[in-house]
Amino acid sequence: MSLIQVKDLYKIYQMGNSEVRALDGVSLSIEQNEYVSIMGPSGSGKSTLMNLLGCLDTPTSGEFFMDGIDVATMDDDALAHIRNKKIGFVFQTFNLLPKSTSLRNVELPLIYNGEIKAADRREMAIGALTRVNLADRVSHKPNELSGGQRQRVAVARALVNNPAIILADEPTGNLDSKTGEEIMALFDELHKQGNTIILVTHEEHIAAHASRVVRLLDGKIAVDEPTQRGEK
Amino acid sequence: MKSFFWENLRIALTELWSHKTRSILTGTGIVIGIIAVSLMSTLINGVDGLFEDSMKFLGRGNLYVEKWPWFGDDDWWTLRNRPQIELDMADEIKERSEYALAVAADRMRTANLSYKELSAENIYIHGVTTNYPEVSTVDVEFGRFFTESEDRTGSQVVLLGSEVAKTLFPQGNPVDKMIFAGSKRFRVIGVLAEMGSFMGAFSNDTQVIIPLATFNKIFHGPWGRRSIIVKVPEHLIEDAKEELRGVLRVLRGLKPGEEDNFAINQQNAFRQSYQGIKLAIGGTGMIITALSLLVGGIGIANIMFVSVKERTREIGVRKALGATRSQIQGQFLIEAMLITASGGLVGLIISTLISMAISKFIFPASMSFGVAFMAIALSAGVGLFAGLAPARKGAKLDPIDALRYE
Ligand SMILES: Nc1ncnc2c1ncn2[C@@H]1O[C@H](COP(=O)(O)OP(=O)(O)OP(=O)(O)O)[C@@H](O)[C@H]1O
Ligand SMILES: [Mg+2]
Repeated sequence: MSLIQVKDLYKIYQMGNSEVRALDGVSLSIEQNEYVSIMGPSGSGKSTLMNLLGCLDTPTSGEFFMDGIDVATMDDDALAHIRNKKIGFVFQTFNLLPKSTSLRNVELPLIYNGEIKAADRREMAIGALTRVNLADRVSHKPNELSGGQRQRVAVARALVNNPAIILADEPTGNLDSKTGEEIMALFDELHKQGNTIILVTHEEHIAAHASRVVRLLDGKIAVDEPTQRGEK
Repeated sequence: MKSFFWENLRIALTELWSHKTRSILTGTGIVIGIIAVSLMSTLINGVDGLFEDSMKFLGRGNLYVEKWPWFGDDDWWTLRNRPQIELDMADEIKERSEYALAVAADRMRTANLSYKELSAENIYIHGVTTNYPEVSTVDVEFGRFFTESEDRTGSQVVLLGSEVAKTLFPQGNPVDKMIFAGSKRFRVIGVLAEMGSFMGAFSNDTQVIIPLATFNKIFHGPWGRRSIIVKVPEHLIEDAKEELRGVLRVLRGLKPGEEDNFAINQQNAFRQSYQGIKLAIGGTGMIITALSLLVGGIGIANIMFVSVKERTREIGVRKALGATRSQIQGQFLIEAMLITASGGLVGLIISTLISMAISKFIFPASMSFGVAFMAIALSAGVGLFAGLAPARKGAKLDPIDALRYE
């Protein structure tokens, strides 16, 4: 059974008389521990697909199974649970809470997990920050961190709950190439440890970290093939 | 679920702390509302206590036969033209009434008293029958009450209220001293025990008592209040009043159909009119409270809508990380309730201080635990009510829309 199984997924925005087919019949399956990059021109539907896979958005129609569970028909709170337990999302714009420290930001998924004691939470959050090399920035607020450091906090937040899937929408889009490579090294590391990683990028050298690349065009999958690394 | 409560409380505290001025301004309406409601209840409690104390002097089982009713809106001229109460009816009443336990007579006017160079002006001077102590709460502290024969012979003897005694005899025992009431000399035979004041206004301790016959002999003319005080069993007072009315109509020779030309007063009349005043105070207080809580609540709802809007992205992030609707809703509800409950607490502290000042300088009034509890519950309730719509709005936001919000 695939970790992610998507069939005939449509996301259609009705804009007055015209409709925008952001996703126009996408079928795709992704296995446990795959490393997939999604590419395509601007407006081709990459973010739309990622948001659907991340259970942040609901499709207009289509099937979506995660771990064999039907996600497409779930209600708000059930989706919140999936987002909390199974998914770690990294955004292009970081989306950290500006008034909270790194530690608090990383603790958030654990708080909404509801099963973890406050003392354990702290320890787990510090552990995640250590994994992204930010053990010395625990009590900094986002505006006291560099862009790369902020994205590392966001990665720590994505992985702290031990999710099955890490989704990243242009995680290096706002970073210079050197900092971008640092972040990519983190993803490679997570992949090695068994995580499933799906990331959106515009840059071929970023996409080359993955073992499979899905190219979208006008809401449809144009190409779905292994990368050089995947063929090895 | 419990851990979310603490988490949400923490978020709310941080949020309110980072908008200190806004939070304080928002809570002010609640502060005022809570001050209004708790002070009002405290005042009413205090006035109640005062009223009950004052009522003791009137005696629950006493009927007062007088020319003027204590309350009521009868025509002033009709009342004025009524004949004076003949105090010698007292004996007849005692004879004819089944219910009367004791019947005393009381006449009253003011006079200036003096002893050597000390004087006390506008003192109520009562001329009463020897059995007056049976129908009133006067208590002789020093000396003695006058005797039957002193009354019969019109002896010029006087008992002083405790205040009067203090004024005329700052030190030393007044008993057996001679004082002047107007131009007449009286021998002091006793001092009354302290009685306090009536509703905090008229002191009962600035009166003096002389025998009725002496009063009649010295003070001629129609002025002054006259009452016949009829003591009856407390629980039968309404029946006794009916009987007394019949007795008086016979004594006055009234024909059937003729109106009563006397009034029978009782403590109840005070009680009823006091209830009216209390309702008016309470009603005004409730209106002020309701208005300020309503306005305060609207202000809070407004600020919470602003807060939800400002924090749309934050809501998006929290939802993306797994916050459920009820967790987001709880976050904003707790924030609203925290504003109002702190407003309530501040209001409570202020009104406790005010009521302490009142009881120190005006009359005994203390904040009861019940009032305090009600104030806090009420303010938290306002927060819950005001926060509900904004919190639901925030909770229902779509995560992706919220994240994209600029
Ligand atoms: N909320 C929306 N309402 C209407 N149309 C939308 C909405 N969101 C996305 N779209 C449209 O859907 C299409 C796909 O958008 P999407 O954000 O998925 O593109 P993308 O591939 O991520 O582009 P980029 O590389 O620029 O991020 C676009 O044409 C966009 O205009
Ligand atoms: Mg995009």
